[in-house]
Amino acid sequence: MGDHLLVNGLDFFYGQTHALRAVTLPIRRNRITSLIGPSGCGKTTLLRCFNRMHDLYPNNRYRGEILMDGRDILGPAVDVIGLRNSMGMVFQKPTPFPMSVFDNVAYGLRLKRVRNAGVLRERVEKALRQAAVWDEVKDRLGQNAQGLSGGQQQRLVIARTLAVDPQVILFDESTSALDPISSKKIEELMTELKKEVTIIAVTHNMQQAARISDFTALMYLGSLVEYDETATIFTKPRNKLTEEYVTGRFG
Amino acid sequence: MSGLAARKAWNLAAMALASLCALAGLLLLATILRDVLAEGLGSLRLRLFTQDPAPPNMAGAGGLRSAFLGQGLLTLAASAMGVPIGVLGGTYLAEYGRDSRICRLISTLSDMAVSIPSIVIGTFAYAILVKPMGGFNGWAGAVALAIIILPIIVRTTEEMMTMVPWALREAAFALGAPYCKVITSIVWRSAMSGIFTGILLAMARVAGETAPLLFTSFNSNFFRLDMSQAVPSLTVSIYQYAASPYEGWVGLAWAAAFVVTVLVLMLNILGRVVIRLRKRG
Repeated sequence: MGDHLLVNGLDFFYGQTHALRAVTLPIRRNRITSLIGPSGCGKTTLLRCFNRMHDLYPNNRYRGEILMDGRDILGPAVDVIGLRNSMGMVFQKPTPFPMSVFDNVAYGLRLKRVRNAGVLRERVEKALRQAAVWDEVKDRLGQNAQGLSGGQQQRLVIARTLAVDPQVILFDESTSALDPISSKKIEELMTELKKEVTIIAVTHNMQQAARISDFTALMYLGSLVEYDETATIFTKPRNKLTEEYVTGRFG
Repeated sequence: MSGLAARKAWNLAAMALASLCALAGLLLLATILRDVLAEGLGSLRLRLFTQDPAPPNMAGAGGLRSAFLGQGLLTLAASAMGVPIGVLGGTYLAEYGRDSRICRLISTLSDMAVSIPSIVIGTFAYAILVKPMGGFNGWAGAVALAIIILPIIVRTTEEMMTMVPWALREAAFALGAPYCKVITSIVWRSAMSGIFTGILLAMARVAGETAPLLFTSFNSNFFRLDMSQAVPSLTVSIYQYAASPYEGWVGLAWAAAFVVTVLVLMLNILGRVVIRLRKRG
């Protein structure tokens, strides 16, 4: 238990734009932490700091630190590929690769040079079962993954992430492009998964944050407004801005 | 006249003019195809593909077998040079160098290079590869054709790869993939049919070229596929035969023109079929 990650005085810049301001936030192990806030508040920017997605683009700059089990993951000496292996990410729209269902799930394993066919099969099946999509795809493992339904694709992507045994999974509005039934399946899945991984979820949907998360952080204009247990945030927030946001009076 | 009636009249006039121009273009194309079809089919004999050129006084003999093979060889050699360089160049523009000033310049220059008259490219190849080597040779012809397809392939590759959503690349990065792996296993795979179509259309473009070969590989009446010598060429043969006073040669030229037209048409149709299949997913 305890803090798995600690965002400590983090500032982030897109070129000249100051997108995150002195954010300090603990992320508890094996819990779901929701990041909520109006569009442009920096919640996705913060999420993408955890797996250093910002490194892909020029002129992005971090200041401050994110400690993972006490070690700063923003330092220049950090092995970013290793970091991303332990830090899975699920995007807003499903991102199945243009290959078979099996190859999608095996992608990360093959990157880690797992070659043995038996091991691959076993790990792929385990990941698909964990992602609650095995029964729907077990007869079409050889088919192109882009032919699955949106909800199946999203669970496939979660399976692909789980296959490499991450410690943390980052969800970036991962249900907002799905129908209500598929969303519900993903929510149930997240609740199930937190037994094994730590989850950070950006969401626009406040009911969803209230339903699934243990902790909630409200962000506004790049700063953290309030962080607490989800029940507290939604029933007796300390900050007036939080109260207005969760009751739908602004945002 | 009321405003509405005037607008309707204008619309009618503009539509009529546009339709007329479209019809004129279509009519021209139809006339060419009709002539090639009528004359070509009439002169089409099996010996066109099985025999090599014969002197004009040998009525009923001679074909263009060597010219077909020579043209094919030149096109393949040009593709062997142009395709890898084009695909890798387009990849650089779409990925590693994306949004940089130099890449935007290269893209613009490539667009311009697509419309350079092919005879200019032919004379360029003559200056650098024929004159210094002391004579017409196949390599010079292949290089000239490669220069023509290069910008086409660079640009289609770049465009097809740019169309692959960034989220797909990020998803692969998020699994810890290095950039080269993201490109080969995700982006190329997603853009494959589009890139392939671009290559086909580029090949179709040069398969019927004459001007760049006139100064480079020229032509040969012998069955000789030595790239360091003049190489038999179908299109240059058509040019020479069609301009000759011999009836037999003119007939062969028609037949060969018909075959080239059909081949190029088929390459184009194949390319478009691939595009349609791709859109249907």
